[in-house]
Amino acid sequence: MFRLFKYYLAKGLIGGIVLDSDFLSLIEESKALNSSVFSLIRLQLLSSIAGVGKDSVTYRELKAALQVTDGALYTNLKFLEETGYIASKRITLEGKELESYLITQEGLLAWEQIRNWLKKLVECGVKNNESG
Amino acid sequence: MVACLKAINLKPKIDEFEDRLLIQKAVYLLQLKGIKTNFSYHLYVRGPYSKELTDEIYDNRNKVERLETSLKLSNTEAKMIGEFNELFFGLKPGILEVAATYSLFAFDQKQDAITALKNVKRMKSFYSEAQIAVGISKAKEFLFRPSEKEISELKEELRPWQEASAESMRG
Repeated sequence: MFRLFKYYLAKGLIGGIVLDSDFLSLIEESKALNSSVFSLIRLQLLSSIAGVGKDSVTYRELKAALQVTDGALYTNLKFLEETGYIASKRITLEGKELESYLITQEGLLAWEQIRNWLKKLVECGVKNNESG
Repeated sequence: MVACLKAINLKPKIDEFEDRLLIQKAVYLLQLKGIKTNFSYHLYVRGPYSKELTDEIYDNRNKVERLETSLKLSNTEAKMIGEFNELFFGLKPGILEVAATYSLFAFDQKQDAITALKNVKRMKSFYSEAQIAVGISKAKEFLFRPSEKEISELKEELRPWQEASAESMRG
């Protein structure tokens, strides 16, 4: 998905982009991003887990809010955990043992980097649309 | 915030997930009721949640755990907390979570009751129908304030009864 995104960007197909210095620096910056995180569910998970800061989010909260299957949720949580972006923790709530996830320092940095890049990408598209 | 925790008889252990959840939801409901704790809440996967509040309790862990504060609640605030204690006696996390989430949709975002209910059921689908019903009914009881229109409709509805009662007293 990320590669396709970069292709469309390069072809100027997103937001009628005119190739300018902003665009070129965006492409340069994208090289530092971890492209394996660029799938909808992984971005949603990173955003949801990073959103609660020092706290953790339970598996059942993620499943209910994101409305994804157990298979998709489990696989992608596992991936983010193996990447070192999130850590799992057993917690107790109303006497029940639940699995919860919290963002790691590395995950927080990666998420901030991706978020800033996406913001710049959107702003670049808007700017180019306005000037075009 | 600590004064509120003290008044609701919550002695939290900050490392406990359940206690942090109770603090988040209780403070949110009390804020909506009118107690000024000034934490900004937004909708997260958890329902209403304040990142600032989490930072505050971690940064002041000792004070929060020992419930150390020099602040005293005003009479109005103490009355509001009294109502909270009566309704949410025992501080059950599930009920508080449902009540806070419904309150965000219905009282903060001003969604109609059916939309707010649908959104609670979607976000808190892991709770039973009974827990959702109890949580919502407690939220309504705690936060419902009739509008001018509702008050005038209520007066209109009660007028014949009041007139009949006045009539019977006269005669």
